[in-house]
Amino acid sequence: MLIFLVVFPFVLLGFAWAAYLAAGALAGLAVEAGLPASYGAAASNLLFLMVVFLMVSSSFLTIGERKWSALMQNRVGPNRIRILGNPLAGLPYLAADALKMLTKENIEPALRSRLLYELAPVVSFAPAFVLFAVVPVGPEALVGGQRVSLQVANPDAGLLYLFAIASLAVYGTSLAGWASNNKFALLGGVRASSQMISYEVSLGLSLVGAMMAYGTLRLDVMSLRQGDLLWGWLPALGVLLQPVGLVLFFTSAFAETKRAPFDLPEGESEIVGYFVEYPGMKFGMMMLAEFIEIVVLSGVTAAVFFGGWHPVLFEGWLRTNLQPVAFAAVCAACFLGKTLFLAWVQLAIRWTLPRFRFDQIQKLCWKMMFPAALLNVFVTGALVIADPSLEALAAVGLLELAALAGLTAAAARAAPAAAAQQPAHAATAPGH
Amino acid sequence: MPYAIPDRPADVRERLFVPEAIRGVGIIMKQFLRNFFLQRDPNPDVLARRTPNATIQYPEEKQPYPPGYRGLHRLVPREDGRPRCVACYMCATACPAQCIYIEAGEVEGDPIEKYPTAFVIDELRCVVCGFCVEACPKDAIRMDTGLHAPPSYTRAEQLWDEKLLLRGPPVSYQQDPWLRRSAPGLEPAKVEAMRQAARPFAQGASDEYAHTPGFSVRALAAEAKARGE
Repeated sequence: MLIFLVVFPFVLLGFAWAAYLAAGALAGLAVEAGLPASYGAAASNLLFLMVVFLMVSSSFLTIGERKWSALMQNRVGPNRIRILGNPLAGLPYLAADALKMLTKENIEPALRSRLLYELAPVVSFAPAFVLFAVVPVGPEALVGGQRVSLQVANPDAGLLYLFAIASLAVYGTSLAGWASNNKFALLGGVRASSQMISYEVSLGLSLVGAMMAYGTLRLDVMSLRQGDLLWGWLPALGVLLQPVGLVLFFTSAFAETKRAPFDLPEGESEIVGYFVEYPGMKFGMMMLAEFIEIVVLSGVTAAVFFGGWHPVLFEGWLRTNLQPVAFAAVCAACFLGKTLFLAWVQLAIRWTLPRFRFDQIQKLCWKMMFPAALLNVFVTGALVIADPSLEALAAVGLLELAALAGLTAAAARAAPAAAAQQPAHAATAPGH
Repeated sequence: MPYAIPDRPADVRERLFVPEAIRGVGIIMKQFLRNFFLQRDPNPDVLARRTPNATIQYPEEKQPYPPGYRGLHRLVPREDGRPRCVACYMCATACPAQCIYIEAGEVEGDPIEKYPTAFVIDELRCVVCGFCVEACPKDAIRMDTGLHAPPSYTRAEQLWDEKLLLRGPPVSYQQDPWLRRSAPGLEPAKVEAMRQAARPFAQGASDEYAHTPGFSVRALAAEAKARGE
């Protein structure tokens, strides 16, 4: 386990370095062929970031979910497939799952709506996949004479692209529910569409604060500006400027991914879910889309709120003492590490909180998160206008973080006290 | 232990969700880190484990059976390698599932002694009641192997005959008739050796016949007494 912890950062670093070198090489090739250098870099990034990193990490997360949930719940987890007597932390299950999914019998409901039924897995998989295109994994660096950065596409619309594509995901789920000709699937699809459309509102509003604070929609600029120092020493991280925005964004994005505690569209114990009629790899694509959404959500959260690719600690020292490409690779590895850590946090939340009731979900969205997001927008706007250096915003953000820490500590203190008081409460209960 | 949960409206901190969620994730993280860094303790005694994991990895790790556990039958052999069974049909008569089939044969040259030419137990019909062990006057059948009937693909493999059943350490008693008056099938020197190894007649109840190897009710009782229970 310790070996894993030591080796893993170097794996990320090597991967990031290779991605930079490949991007530089392909950009050079593109220039030789008479194309813009960004075409070559984009092709390389498409391969390295989306096909390799996104797909590999999300498919590993399917194993991580099982194994980590076992560790969280004091179980053992999958370990029956062994190679030379070693369960390899459950990794052989990847191959077994893929083989199982691909070789399953294709059972389809007779009265399905054929075109929509076949389309739904694609429509739910594709938006989740292309979302990662705008995530800025690494800073710009000069590799082989070409300026390349680890970002597949860099549209000016940045976050708007994100919202636009993310709202396409609802079509996949509601189509799957509707086209299956199954009441439970339809129920799941309806639940999914109402939940996802509701949470899109607070999802969008929660990032408006960050847009105003950094004055941009582009995720790479947002990442870059988080390296600015406030008061000369504090990096302007999104989590410091926008703690409320972070909580709201993380929660609404969680609801968008349809995972516990917002997994009513799936609700295995009651309605199985909108994909109940999908066999084999069609279901596999929907499941994989869910895990891809986790990685994408982690990536966006890391880019907007946790300093993007900035290593934050020792950044000045690293910048002066490393080669530019090496520094960029370290930055990208930091970003990948942050992304994977946030993915772990999402799994931890999934295994911590029980499922909300449906009225609770809507109440949480419309009566708590939506007003809070609006308030956050107004407060942020006022503070940014009052103090364009963002220091007032950071001061308020730090106050909010301190309040949250205080409330959490109070919760931790109150819980043992409440447990101790329970007999007293029970004794006095009839009197109340 | 049941306890009353005070019915009070949620306070601001709880309605905010976030502090309580953070606290929950903190607890989960503690569990995760403990299980991630500590090696799982495979001690089959779950309550004595150092780590909180309660799983027993069944085929590799097995829970110890309690004393008196009735496992797969065995026929107790004599020192000369033949079963102690005298084909009296007591066990087959006692068996409520009628799973014991015995064919008796006469010992050659002996006017009295019989032995089982076939002794078959259908482990699929057996209800593991242990009546056969209780019924046996010769301590010839026991259920102290501590094993299950192993799984098989055919029903025929669950018919255990005397060749499969005959196993374990040999046992002789001083009251065994073939030791008291010798027997035509046994050499005199062998009989003398068996007489030397024979156990005395049991005077009281003993836990010896029924218990699983490695366990002793008496030892456990002595331990409990030493602990002051």
